[in-house]
Amino acid sequence: FYVKASYKEKRLEARLSLLQSAATEEEMRLLRFQRRLEEDKGEHLMGMSLQDTLQILLSIGLHKQAEQLYKDFRVPDKRYWWLKLTALADKEDWDELEKF
Amino acid sequence: MAAHLSYGRVNLNILREAARKELREFLDKCAGSKAIVWDEYLTGPFGLIAQYSLLKEHEVEKMFTLKSGRLPPADVKNIIFFVRPRLELMDIIAENILSEDKMQTPREFNILFVPRRSMLCEQRLKEQGVLGAFTNIDEYILDLIPYDGDLLSMESESAFRECYLENDQTSLYHTAKGLMTLQALYGTIPQIFGKGECARHVANMMLRMKREFAGSQTQILPVFDTLLLLDRNVDLLTPLATQLTYEGLIDEIYGITNGYVKLPPEKFAQKKQGEGGKDLPTEPKKLQLNSAEELYAEIRDKNFNAVGAALSKKAKIISAAFEERHNAKTVGEIKQFVSQLPHMQAARTSLANHTSIAELIKDITTSEAFFDNLTVEQEFMTGVDTDKVNTYIEDCIAQKDPLLKILRLVCMQSVCNNGLKQKVLDFYKREILQTYGYEHLLTLNNLEKVGLLKPQITTRNNYPTIRKTLKLWMEDANEQNPNDISYVYSGYAPLSVRLTQLLARPGWRSIEEVLKMLPGPHFEERQQLPPGLHKKRQQGENRTTLVFFLGGVTYAEIAALRFLSQMEDSGTEYIIATTKLINGTSWIKSLMDRPDQQI
Repeated sequence: FYVKASYKEKRLEARLSLLQSAATEEEMRLLRFQRRLEEDKGEHLMGMSLQDTLQILLSIGLHKQAEQLYKDFRVPDKRYWWLKLTALADKEDWDELEKF
Repeated sequence: MAAHLSYGRVNLNILREAARKELREFLDKCAGSKAIVWDEYLTGPFGLIAQYSLLKEHEVEKMFTLKSGRLPPADVKNIIFFVRPRLELMDIIAENILSEDKMQTPREFNILFVPRRSMLCEQRLKEQGVLGAFTNIDEYILDLIPYDGDLLSMESESAFRECYLENDQTSLYHTAKGLMTLQALYGTIPQIFGKGECARHVANMMLRMKREFAGSQTQILPVFDTLLLLDRNVDLLTPLATQLTYEGLIDEIYGITNGYVKLPPEKFAQKKQGEGGKDLPTEPKKLQLNSAEELYAEIRDKNFNAVGAALSKKAKIISAAFEERHNAKTVGEIKQFVSQLPHMQAARTSLANHTSIAELIKDITTSEAFFDNLTVEQEFMTGVDTDKVNTYIEDCIAQKDPLLKILRLVCMQSVCNNGLKQKVLDFYKREILQTYGYEHLLTLNNLEKVGLLKPQITTRNNYPTIRKTLKLWMEDANEQNPNDISYVYSGYAPLSVRLTQLLARPGWRSIEEVLKMLPGPHFEERQQLPPGLHKKRQQGENRTTLVFFLGGVTYAEIAALRFLSQMEDSGTEYIIATTKLINGTSWIKSLMDRPDQQI
């Protein structure tokens, strides 16, 4: 019900400007995605920023989901690659790094 | 204790004494032993006025910080609450008192509002049913606190936020009141200049207050010749830039609060004599920084690149002084040497401290990250590629560097470009929201409201014009032996200080065009002096100008003004007053949506 409350608040904010409403919709999509994943995988993701979500996904090896987010939210390549590199290096997952 | 306040051109000790006297009077009103319950925020500013010893003389036996629940037991007759007029604090006080009643010994309660009592707060106490429990409700007017020999501060953290974001002008009222107090002690200030909305408001209030008090003219020879009121939003750029003076860097890196800085203890550990370092101090080292310390007064305003040389010179002087003992032959000479020992010891400790601090800072200033950051800042200030997405900022976001650093840079780009292209602005916003979280939308919104971040409306960018006319960028800034104020930012001359400088000579009329480009009106007022009080200026005597920064001032700007005071041909000495001492980070933080949240 936290989410519900925050949705309400955000909708109000959203009327302020076009860009903000775009950002709000994005956030809503992200929250939905996070909820779905949370139900599926039992990872705690709710309310995290997109960047943090991606990082967790990569570090627990959910590369497909991360890839999907990256496409859905049009994350700039530079930022995504940097993130992927560090996440994989942290994990010392050299095989995946090689593939990539 | 406060000798450093009286060194300067204007003896600020008078102000401090006045503040102390009032405090004593209030304390004496509550007879018998007392305990003070502090609003934690106030302890810092109060430390600048009165030490614990003064309170002790007036039978203050215990001190607590204000928190909810029951008051700690203390065998005293009076309980005094020192609080800011905030509703949430009233609730805590009410809770304190209500839980108190169950205990046996009756105690008297007093409340002291700093800086003003407020109807709303009293009403809230009444609603809680505790208003009747107080014997004394009083206010302690603490507007301008003497901070150093040439520096006054109101230490009001949120003044900029209140004035420019929330449209709450309470702090402007306090400012006007504070200036009236100042005039009561130092004489009417004949000339008032100002630039900006808030400056206009303050000046209007001052003039009105003066009319209301007409008749009770102070018969004091005016100490200040001119008052200059400057809005912070006239110069949004300067605080965003990284300060490069010694004191400025200490503030940027460690943060100076109420004249104290906390430093990591490791560097200072080995200097503990005796015990032989068996337990490393884990508490951060706390140092007081003001001009009472001879060495600090000398190096605080230097560009950091010149500090090393100054320190080694000082080291040589001190060791030479110590060597002199070998030359002391007669008993008289030895006696003289010994009498100087305490002073020399102090100088040596101070030198050791500052060498350690300088080492700590050097580690940071020589790092690549610091250099890259500075390069980008300087590019923005010289107007290089300010209309495109900056790759350095992009990389920093990708690496999730501290959000405040990012915001500072983005705002700086926006200010230097007179707003960002919609596309660029949207890109930054998206990047920030995606990386740091959606909740920062409100912060971005706040920054937009105060004008730090804005979409470009007209294609004309007037920053280059301002930069050129006011000579904000000096290519050949001399860091060792400065000849211009631009040394404080190694090239960039703070706009606010440039305005101050031009006001003294040749006057603002020459830069009318540029003044119109900056936000807010500029104005000039004169206050009539009672006859016979017109100052007869001696040949070669300098004018004294009080510069008031509404919304905060940085240490580097102060350094620049001090530099102007010392310049031989400037003809003007400056005293600085402000609502709060700020740096880019603390400033942006005060504008964030949830300022308490750790980032």
